[in-house]
Amino acid sequence: MKPRNTVEKTALLQGTLDMLILRTLLFGPAHGHQIAKHIQRTTEDVLQVEHGSLYPALHRMERKGWIIPKWEMAKERNREFKYYRLTPPGRKQLAHEESKWKQLAAAVATVMWPAPGDPS
Amino acid sequence: MSVRNWLSSRLAAFRERRDREKDLDRELKAHLDLEAEEQQESGLSPEEARYAARRAFGNTTLVQEDVHAIWNLGWLERFQRDVKYAARSLRTNPVFTLVAVLTLALGIGANTAIFSTIDALMLRPLPFSEADQLVRIYSTKNGIPIRGTSAAGGPSVLDMRDFAQNSHSFQKMVAYDAWRKNVSFGNSAEPEQMRVGLVPAAYFEVLDVQPIMGRLFTEDENQEGKHYVAAICARLWKDRFAGDGAILGRKVRINDELYTIVAVMPDVIPEWMESARVGPIEVWTPFAPSSALSESSRGARGDFALARMKPGVSLEQAQADLSAIAARLGAEYPVDEGIGVAVKRLSDTRVGTLRPMLFLLMGAVSLILLIACVNLANLLLARNSARQRELSVRAALGAGRGALIRQLLAETLLLSLIGGAVGLALAQIGLASLTRMHPANLSQLDSIGIDWRVLAFTVLVSLATSLLFGVGPALTGTRLNLVDALKQGGRSGSSGRPTQRVRNLLVVTEMAMSLMLLVGATLLVRSIMLLDHQHLGIRQDHLLKGHIYVPGVHYPNPGAITRFCDEFATRVRALPGIIDATVTTVYPPNNGWTQMLNIPGHPFTRIQDIPSAQFGVADSHFLRTLGIPLIQGRDFAESDSATSPPVALIGEEFKSRYFPTEDPIGRQIHIGPPPFLQIAPGANISDSAEVTIIGVVGDFRNAGLAHPPEPQITVLYSQHPAVNYGFKDIVIRTASEPRLLVPEIRRQLHELDPDMPFAEVQTMEELVLAQTGGQRFTTILLASFAAAGLLLAVVGIYGVVSFLVTQRKQELAVRIALGASRVTVLWLVLKQGLEMATIGAAIGLFGAWATQKLTSGLLFGISPVDPVTFAGAAVFLLTVAAIASAIPGARVMTIDPAQTLRQE
Repeated sequence: MKPRNTVEKTALLQGTLDMLILRTLLFGPAHGHQIAKHIQRTTEDVLQVEHGSLYPALHRMERKGWIIPKWEMAKERNREFKYYRLTPPGRKQLAHEESKWKQLAAAVATVMWPAPGDPS
Repeated sequence: MSVRNWLSSRLAAFRERRDREKDLDRELKAHLDLEAEEQQESGLSPEEARYAARRAFGNTTLVQEDVHAIWNLGWLERFQRDVKYAARSLRTNPVFTLVAVLTLALGIGANTAIFSTIDALMLRPLPFSEADQLVRIYSTKNGIPIRGTSAAGGPSVLDMRDFAQNSHSFQKMVAYDAWRKNVSFGNSAEPEQMRVGLVPAAYFEVLDVQPIMGRLFTEDENQEGKHYVAAICARLWKDRFAGDGAILGRKVRINDELYTIVAVMPDVIPEWMESARVGPIEVWTPFAPSSALSESSRGARGDFALARMKPGVSLEQAQADLSAIAARLGAEYPVDEGIGVAVKRLSDTRVGTLRPMLFLLMGAVSLILLIACVNLANLLLARNSARQRELSVRAALGAGRGALIRQLLAETLLLSLIGGAVGLALAQIGLASLTRMHPANLSQLDSIGIDWRVLAFTVLVSLATSLLFGVGPALTGTRLNLVDALKQGGRSGSSGRPTQRVRNLLVVTEMAMSLMLLVGATLLVRSIMLLDHQHLGIRQDHLLKGHIYVPGVHYPNPGAITRFCDEFATRVRALPGIIDATVTTVYPPNNGWTQMLNIPGHPFTRIQDIPSAQFGVADSHFLRTLGIPLIQGRDFAESDSATSPPVALIGEEFKSRYFPTEDPIGRQIHIGPPPFLQIAPGANISDSAEVTIIGVVGDFRNAGLAHPPEPQITVLYSQHPAVNYGFKDIVIRTASEPRLLVPEIRRQLHELDPDMPFAEVQTMEELVLAQTGGQRFTTILLASFAAAGLLLAVVGIYGVVSFLVTQRKQELAVRIALGASRVTVLWLVLKQGLEMATIGAAIGLFGAWATQKLTSGLLFGISPVDPVTFAGAAVFLLTVAAIASAIPGARVMTIDPAQTLRQE
């Protein structure tokens, strides 16, 4: 078993997955498969999005009004897919989560790699 | 929100959900297909690609469920899921479910049945407008109603007139009466005896009942001679006149006189209003008492009186108003001395003597329900402790305690509702058989049924029940120690000490309650048995009685009435199979006609000191027919005739009260009130009031079954024309089954007078049975409740003891292995059951003692704290409890210590 599985499991806490999806949709509408693939590829397979979490997350965000779905024909596949689009509240939410995440990351970082000269 | 809106919104929601599910399916399929295509592109066969895609995707159903949950987190959805789980869990344990549902059905069913009785008898609103303004007025003597709980017993017409003139609290008042009369309709040959209401128009005005057709009686028609008009009820109009539109003006014959029908009244006046035992009043004629308004009738009390209070007047104000007037009348007229009034709301008069019985029964069924709840609580405690592993697993998988409690409560709720539904069915069956028992004084039972009030009651009781027995076990059952519970592995979970104590406490409680029921039922049964074996003072078997009314039109004088009665009795005596017959107004167990007496040597200064006795008129066959022993002197003889000096027979009680030391034979006494009281002619027998006592006879019950005989004086109607009324009964002693002779007796009567009905035919046994009807009704009910309570309590103690045996199996096995005898070990188990039963019995005895007021009014000849009953019931309960504990206890005897210990 590859060690990254453990990484992925601990990293993909609920709020985080939402943020990643929202960030992915910032590039434009995408369907579930594309979103999963995109996250996987950009993180070089470190983060694997499980479908069991992806779809509930998508529907939860749809219910909250952050994203909006639409069935559209895919150009290269000649088939309809359900594309999700970011809504203005979704953008706001992304900004909010991003800043929260930055704070968290900074906080974790200060604990993990204290700046030189720090008394501890 | 209208039903249609609600429906369409539900439909829309349903459609929306269905669409969303389809959408999700399509979304997931698109994803899967794409995944498969990609796999194929990387070189896999289509088959392999599809499997790989599925593997990569994971559990689609789970995804669907999760997504579904996101869209539906409403409480309703959660509730549905809880109910679904609950139903599943009940299905997997059918024995538990069956026992629980039956227990609940018993408890809820009994409550529903009794509640519908109370609903029909006490709670339903009266069918009159502003019914709480309606009151009945009773006349009281020294504070006690003169006719007890009977609806009659109102003030005299004259007193009522003075009340109406001087009071300020009433809109209208009315005095009226109801008499048995011979009625025949032009189109039917057979005359019937019916109760005819003698009512002025004010009767209908007070009740605010308008005729369907025609008009109310006029003031004029309340005068003797102008009163030949009648109103009939709609039922009669439809049955006898086929709803004839031209009914007004047609004639009806009442006591051989023709009355013109002037009105058809709606069927709204209930039967109990005039406490009729023979059905509702269906014909009314004006109230034309010839002499009621003469001052000499002021003491003629005992008619019906109704009034409608002014809006906003309270019962207390109305009572105070009339009491003040009654006090003035009492000071003014000697005959009104000590006479007061009691004002009662009409709606409160409908149950009369049944009120205490209903309260007792309601108390009893509440106890049953409590016992049922206790049993269920116990069952659930046991079940929850057996389910601890299941609950722990759920908790470990993330169910919060709230969710667990919710789920356990959903189970109890479901149980209660099913139990309630079955209970409702049981109640229906029970009510059907109740109505069949139909005691004579419970005519309202006919209207018992399941209406919305009863339904609401049942649902409420079911909900309350599920809370009552469910919350405790749910709280204790979910107080989990996960690690411990899961570590115990396959062994059935054992309940902790506190839970066991709760269970024991519950058994004690139900033992106590069922003992209370047992004591109450035993007391009532013994009381009924005493009543049934009450010696009436006559020979009770092969005795038949019937009522006749000899109307004044055809029999205008007392002589004619005497001739008719004598002739009828003679003809009956001549019939084969008949031993003797007597025409009389008095026979056991009730008489109800009292006369004041003037006995030389018994002076009085106050009105309440005037000697009085139960009075009756009969013919000379009276003693022989009824089988009353002659103790002293002689019987009536054929030679005692209208022209010979009047004679009288007195009872032993009469002798010991008024002639304690002297010989009464040959003494002359005066029957009737002293002259200064000015009692109306007809109410006394002053023209023939001097009678000579010729004999002392055995006492017979003349004041009801439950009361000792009162002084009785009986005279011959042929010698007392002033009290020789048309109302007579014939009592007949037969050699064979009395009922078989009724047609022949009726034929003899019709040969004498084809228009005279032979009414109210009963054997003496039937008469006595009807007297105890209400009592019997209560007794049967209470006894069956006690049986139900006992059954539940037995199931309860059985359950707890068998649980104990299972729990202590290893401990007991160790004891046996170490050499304890099996009997000792059995005793160990039995002791626990018996301890609970004994404590429960002690508490129950105390409870029965504390609630003696409930039963005391219903008992006859036995104390509500009768020690024999108390002791007997306690011993019985303990015996039953011992047996119920011994059955599971006996399993101890079969324990194989080696095997049991190895199992662990």
